[in-house]
Amino acid sequence: MQDLLNAATLGSIYLLFTLGMALAWGTIGILNFAHGATFMFSAFVAHVLSRETPLPFLAAVAISVVVGALMSVATQVLAFQQIIKRAKSQHHAELRILIGGIGVAAIPLAIAQRETKSSPFGINSDYTATVFEFAGLRLSSTALVILIAGLGIGIGLTVWLRRSRQGLALRALGVDAETSAGMGVNRQVMAIGTMAVAGALAGLAGALLTFHLSAIAPETGDQLIIKAFAIVVLGGLGSMAGAVIGSYVLAGTETLVLVAGHGTWVDAVSFGLIFLILLVRPQGLLGRKEVRRT
Amino acid sequence: MNDWYLSNIVLVQSTFTTLLLALSVQIPMRMGVFSFAGIGAYGIGGYVAAMCMVHREWTTVPAIVAGTLAAGIATFLLGLVVQRLTGLYMGMATIAFTLIVAVLAVNGGEWTGGASGLFGALGDITTGLIIGCAVVVVVLLQFTEMGGLGRRIDTVREDPELANAMGINVARYRRLSFLASGLVGGLAGALVTLLRSTITPDLVNFHLVVLALTVIVVGGSGSWIGALIGSLIFVWLPTWLVFIGEWEEIVYGVIVALAAIFLPSGVLGVAKNLWHRFRTRDERARLKAGGGTPAGETGDAGGRGLVPSVEGEA
Repeated sequence: MQDLLNAATLGSIYLLFTLGMALAWGTIGILNFAHGATFMFSAFVAHVLSRETPLPFLAAVAISVVVGALMSVATQVLAFQQIIKRAKSQHHAELRILIGGIGVAAIPLAIAQRETKSSPFGINSDYTATVFEFAGLRLSSTALVILIAGLGIGIGLTVWLRRSRQGLALRALGVDAETSAGMGVNRQVMAIGTMAVAGALAGLAGALLTFHLSAIAPETGDQLIIKAFAIVVLGGLGSMAGAVIGSYVLAGTETLVLVAGHGTWVDAVSFGLIFLILLVRPQGLLGRKEVRRT
Repeated sequence: MNDWYLSNIVLVQSTFTTLLLALSVQIPMRMGVFSFAGIGAYGIGGYVAAMCMVHREWTTVPAIVAGTLAAGIATFLLGLVVQRLTGLYMGMATIAFTLIVAVLAVNGGEWTGGASGLFGALGDITTGLIIGCAVVVVVLLQFTEMGGLGRRIDTVREDPELANAMGINVARYRRLSFLASGLVGGLAGALVTLLRSTITPDLVNFHLVVLALTVIVVGGSGSWIGALIGSLIFVWLPTWLVFIGEWEEIVYGVIVALAAIFLPSGVLGVAKNLWHRFRTRDERARLKAGGGTPAGETGDAGGRGLVPSVEGEA
């Protein structure tokens, strides 16, 4: 049971991280490889600001969220929009966005590695996690916040994307950007808004994970990005519900492998999962089949 | 010259091994396959070569051949499995393959030395051998860039449907690109491992993917010359830019991002454009003076009919 709870907490972290990436990729078609760096760097900024004076829990989280959103928007405006503007075709743009993202991601990573000398960093805070115990289960208050935030935002975003007008516009962009732009969807504004939300979610995940583990390494973001990709592929591109289910499936499987005593194989789970899903069901569990016309 | 050579021998060696590594990613890219399996092949080649030397006590050349072939076969089999994926999905599946190689190496027990890797596989590798291998690979690649084969490969990349319609077996070209990528990547891995005498799972990581990609993107993705330019830049840049020092990684990130935005075909593409402008300068001057020559006339002048459509309005 305790393992199940741990898996759920891990899954919620994955979910917060993945939601932003899945949202940007599934709607405005940007696979942001700098998402992991955004995640890490927003927690890092909170770490730097909290060196002198301890920050309250909420303030640290708020700082990370704002930094994440700003970084993500800056990446979009300075790099991705420039690439899209210059690219010959959607396909060319896709690859250049991936490469540009990798380049952008190297910058905050290098800054953080230099500052921390590649050692893990935490956020100095007057907040201390209280541990609740009931029926033999242990749950820290941080884990509780993560669980609630993950599930709440995951479900909220799914519903919002399905019900609201903006959600409809975003989904329309995901299906056919040009036609929906012709129908009055403002692509630029939608793209910047989406990236801001994605970055804010990355920042939230960064701060919460740092509080949960009490420290993260600068390289944590790189590992998460591959896992997030596995989750998006598993759940199906463009499906937020898929991302929610995928996060918990991956976390559950990894915990299972860990509990079974094969700790060194944990990373192989997500990589193997990418493989298996792409081969058996390339559109993912809940994804729609992509139609490409030439 | 000789002094210079001796003091920079490590950089000369790593220029050519980086070139091979970059080529292993570039070969599939030239067929329109966004595959990083070459990096995984690099790991397989390195590990197999090291295992042959450490456990079987083979000599250098057979170990390299074994590593190269093992990597080629493994990557070819991977290609059979993933060949119907496209674009980013292919990229990520092959990154996953590369990282699985590292996980397997960690869990390989005695054979792969676990997390601490394999030591003492010091092969008898000379700089001549490395350059020789690189030259052989480059010469073979040059054949795939010339004549009918070169045009067929370009078609496979730019328009697979058209290529299919013209009777080119796109799937076969792409499968073979996996084989070639695996062989070249394995060769690079085997050479580097036996040169340095060690290999650890940490060496087969995401950073290597970034390095290969960087070299290709900055140099130019269309030809082995681009990979060579990229390798030269990224191996020698740190020695020229000593003052950057600790900011090196950041500068790299900026360079990659700028190259992705502003240099769609890399340094090679810029050089080709400049060369093209230089060669056609008389013609353009004549066009300007004449105030727009009919298209038929420019078409006759050396078959460079494309130039006026770009420059003619100026």
